[in-house]
Amino acid sequence: MRIQDFKNKDIHELVDLQARLVSANEKLNAVVSFCDVDAQIKDYKMKEDAPLFGTPVVLKDNISTKGVRTTASSRILDNYVPFYDATVVKKLRDAGAIFTCKSAMDELGMGGTGLNAYTGKVNNPYDLERITGGSSSGSAALVAAGLTPLAIGTDTGDSVRKPAAYCGIVGVKPTYGRISRYGVIPYASSLDHVGYFTTNIEDAALALEVMAGRDDQDMTSSYKEVEAYASLLNGDLKGKKIGIITNVIDAIVDPRFRPSFDAFTKKLEEKGTILEMVTIDQDLMNALLPTYFIISNAEATANHSNLDGIRFGMREPGEDLNEIMINSRTKGFSSDVRNRFVIGSYSLFVENQDKIFRKAQKVRRVIVEAVDEALKNYDVLLAPAAGTLAPKPDDSYGEDLNNTFMVAENHMLLGNFSGYPSITVPYDMVDGMPVAINLLARAFDEQTMFNVAKGIEDVTGLAGITKEDF
Amino acid sequence: MNFEVIIGIEIHCELKTNTKMFSSAPLSFAATPNTCTNEIDLGMPGTLPCVNKEAVRSAVKACLATNCEVDRLIRFDRKNYYYSDLPKGFQITQQFYPIGSNGSVTIQTDEGEKVVRLNRIHMEEDTAKQFHTDEGTMIDFNRAGTPLIEIVSEPDMRNGKEAAAYVEEIRKTLYYLGVSDVRMEEGSLRCDVNISLRPYGSDVLGAKAEIKNLNSIANVQRAIEYEMKRQNEILLAGGTVSQATLRFDEATRQTVEMRKKEGAVDYKYFPEPNIFPIRIDDEMMQDIIDNMPELPKERYETYISTYELSDYDANTLVANKELSDFFNETVAHTKEYKLVANWLLGDVSAYLNKNGLQIQESKLAPIELASMINMVANKEISSKQAKEVFEGIVEGKTAKAVVKEKGMEQLSDPNAILALINQALDANPQSIEDFKNGKDRAVGFLVGQVMKLSKGQANPGLTNKLLVEELNKR
Amino acid sequence: MEKNKAYFRKLANQIMIDLSDDEIEILQKEFEVTLRKMDLLDKINTDDVKEMVYPFELETHFLREDEIENVISQQEALENAPEVKDGQILVPKVVK
Ligand SMILES: [Mg+2]
Ligand SMILES: [Zn+2]
Repeated sequence: MRIQDFKNKDIHELVDLQARLVSANEKLNAVVSFCDVDAQIKDYKMKEDAPLFGTPVVLKDNISTKGVRTTASSRILDNYVPFYDATVVKKLRDAGAIFTCKSAMDELGMGGTGLNAYTGKVNNPYDLERITGGSSSGSAALVAAGLTPLAIGTDTGDSVRKPAAYCGIVGVKPTYGRISRYGVIPYASSLDHVGYFTTNIEDAALALEVMAGRDDQDMTSSYKEVEAYASLLNGDLKGKKIGIITNVIDAIVDPRFRPSFDAFTKKLEEKGTILEMVTIDQDLMNALLPTYFIISNAEATANHSNLDGIRFGMREPGEDLNEIMINSRTKGFSSDVRNRFVIGSYSLFVENQDKIFRKAQKVRRVIVEAVDEALKNYDVLLAPAAGTLAPKPDDSYGEDLNNTFMVAENHMLLGNFSGYPSITVPYDMVDGMPVAINLLARAFDEQTMFNVAKGIEDVTGLAGITKEDF
Repeated sequence: MNFEVIIGIEIHCELKTNTKMFSSAPLSFAATPNTCTNEIDLGMPGTLPCVNKEAVRSAVKACLATNCEVDRLIRFDRKNYYYSDLPKGFQITQQFYPIGSNGSVTIQTDEGEKVVRLNRIHMEEDTAKQFHTDEGTMIDFNRAGTPLIEIVSEPDMRNGKEAAAYVEEIRKTLYYLGVSDVRMEEGSLRCDVNISLRPYGSDVLGAKAEIKNLNSIANVQRAIEYEMKRQNEILLAGGTVSQATLRFDEATRQTVEMRKKEGAVDYKYFPEPNIFPIRIDDEMMQDIIDNMPELPKERYETYISTYELSDYDANTLVANKELSDFFNETVAHTKEYKLVANWLLGDVSAYLNKNGLQIQESKLAPIELASMINMVANKEISSKQAKEVFEGIVEGKTAKAVVKEKGMEQLSDPNAILALINQALDANPQSIEDFKNGKDRAVGFLVGQVMKLSKGQANPGLTNKLLVEELNKR
Repeated sequence: MEKNKAYFRKLANQIMIDLSDDEIEILQKEFEVTLRKMDLLDKINTDDVKEMVYPFELETHFLREDEIENVISQQEALENAPEVKDGQILVPKVVK
């Protein structure tokens, strides 16, 4: 499904699509709340040349929507209805978007599986038993299932790019500050990005044009001019310099990956791409996950201190204020989230900050300097987006400290630490499941990122693929 | 006092901006509860802070006025704690890089001038207001997010009087800057005092007591004096003072313990990730400097050197900015500076007190006060008449109109006065004789006669001069 | 350092949450993993390295003009509140 498909369509056909979405969701379990499509169609006054004319759009449930329940898939926000719209919601609506639903996610963005939503596991349309990845699980599942051409997600660790890989779609995390975060329920502010899913690169380029731009309500939002990414799109790979991150390749042990990946890179070379191996200090790669874990949990524990049952959300009874807060928060958050908060809080204590939180912030800088060094000679860095096919819930790789997990599954954190733009693009099918590569480009160089991705898409012929029979 | 008293003061001052520190909702002036907020002030999920330019300008002004070094790279941090009046579960403040540091103010003490050092000035946001009722605590978020500056002194004060003088100096300065209402009773200026005692010569501080939320300058002094005495007695009896948070009970005029301090609370400060560092550019900085208003210190010095007022008069005037502004406007129309000060601190103040008015609320105009004072100085009216004129000008009349209305206009035409002089001389030949015989008293008598004939309106100076001339001719 | 159940419960209560005994056991394990992972950070030399707080260290000059723009009604302010009285949010009496 493509944005283009809705260009000359009767907007009333969205009613049928919505019905299809409702019924498909019984299998996918990807939706928290449905939006009132009829109401949006009724006063629809958009001009036909609006970039997203009549285009259905799915919003991750951590994006505030005025008058529509926004839970971030957490029990504590089960009854919360914002009275304001996130900036990105306004921009999409102004471009013509019709919102169809709020999609399920790992609670408050904390998780990478799609198993931790208050509404339960989100299912992968390619194999309902398998996970979608997360935290933008529902958004990924719905695009992959051909139920929406565009779904918005957020990406703090790799929460758009990982599920995109598991679900065989395009997942974009633009540069930090490119899309306003105002109105997006945070996870970790210095790592959070608004991202999104499409089925093809042209749509990805167009979507960024719509959502990007300076927003005075987000002081970290960038003044850099938004380029005409879609019309400037050029998939010519000739002479493009791509660095392949060897640390990731070396960490992948699944024997099915290598032949497929080698065949793919061979095709790129045939198109005139200059491929080189680039290695990042292995100690830095090993430090990625713990660094992320510390920074994200510390910021998250503070960010979510507002969820206390006082002004909004679920309030549990209690004798006094402390009891109300403790009861509401204990019942409102899953154990996993509570554990992360405790660890985050611990790392911020005065006696621990130097050893833990500030140490992680320093390591972050060293890692980003290594990324800068690696990117110096290339247009983009490339690596497989995941080390395995979308796993099943019990294929736990939990707290495994081995390389496969630490590096292959977490290298996309490089994009969050640096804030640099990054995109996941499917390149092959292995045993009926999609596999994907990930690109990392220089700050605000989304155009190059899209161009290379377009070239890759042309090579793979996978533009627009979905899995609608599940 | 057997011990040295060490006093440091933290002042929280609400800035008088249009909007909140981090949101574009209005500040509230006793508005209906929860009508001056938006999603940011309520700490709703997904909101982000956005720094108020005017609050930054105000903070810079406060720094410049207190000789602080200004850190032009503005950075904010989070102070984490849970409380029902703190919507986000953290307060955005400037823990690590306060906008101002290493400042000083000069206060007047019994021993003369004294410099009190400022540790820092930082920007932060206020909490919500809570009302405790039998049914529970009600929370009004109108105040939440109001811009604050916190001014932290070094522990440089040694008694209640110095502390009061320090708070007064800060209050006055902020008021002159126009950045705050500085109303202690209403909480726009809030004062926490840290006090500890130590044996003279020791540099080990005793346990610190913190007296929270003092609501007037007089109470700052009273609370400290009570607490000094209390701690002194404990120490003399061989006891130890426990570290505690106290409040001052107005009725009993005693400090009351609110809670013991069990070690410092860990607020887990860390840099606010949602606000990139903001550089105050040269243009903005220059604009602030160029628009700095006159400060109380500068005004005091002008009063002493240019207007030659007494130290007491200068201080008293400066302490009341509106009265002092009035003085400045008045002396633009008269050179009788001392008289203006006397009138303002005397009859004008008495009148305002009696009627419960502020000078700016009264109908008195500076130019009329000046006009009246000039008439006194020129002996066009007597001091006694001036009191009558004053009654008219405070009602909004012009001095001239009152003088006319009350028939105090002087006869200053030399020919007309001369006619009256001749009339008086003709009627009193004996007095002419007396004058010729060297009896000076005769002049006084004759002036009196002329005044009588003119019904008191002849200009006394002129009358005297013409009379003597006329007597010499005869 | 010995970190018993009471220690973890206290840690949790400081951030207004509670944990069951089972949850504390999981937390204890995660804690050990976290501390082990710290070794991976300690391998990185960060002498003379400044903390990286933001993805980019761009100084900005933007400050919001002090103009009233966004103010919501009392009804909006309170519509999500669990308990309201006289236009205010009600909680059990708190004493500071
Ligand atoms: Mg303080
Ligand atoms: Zn403070």
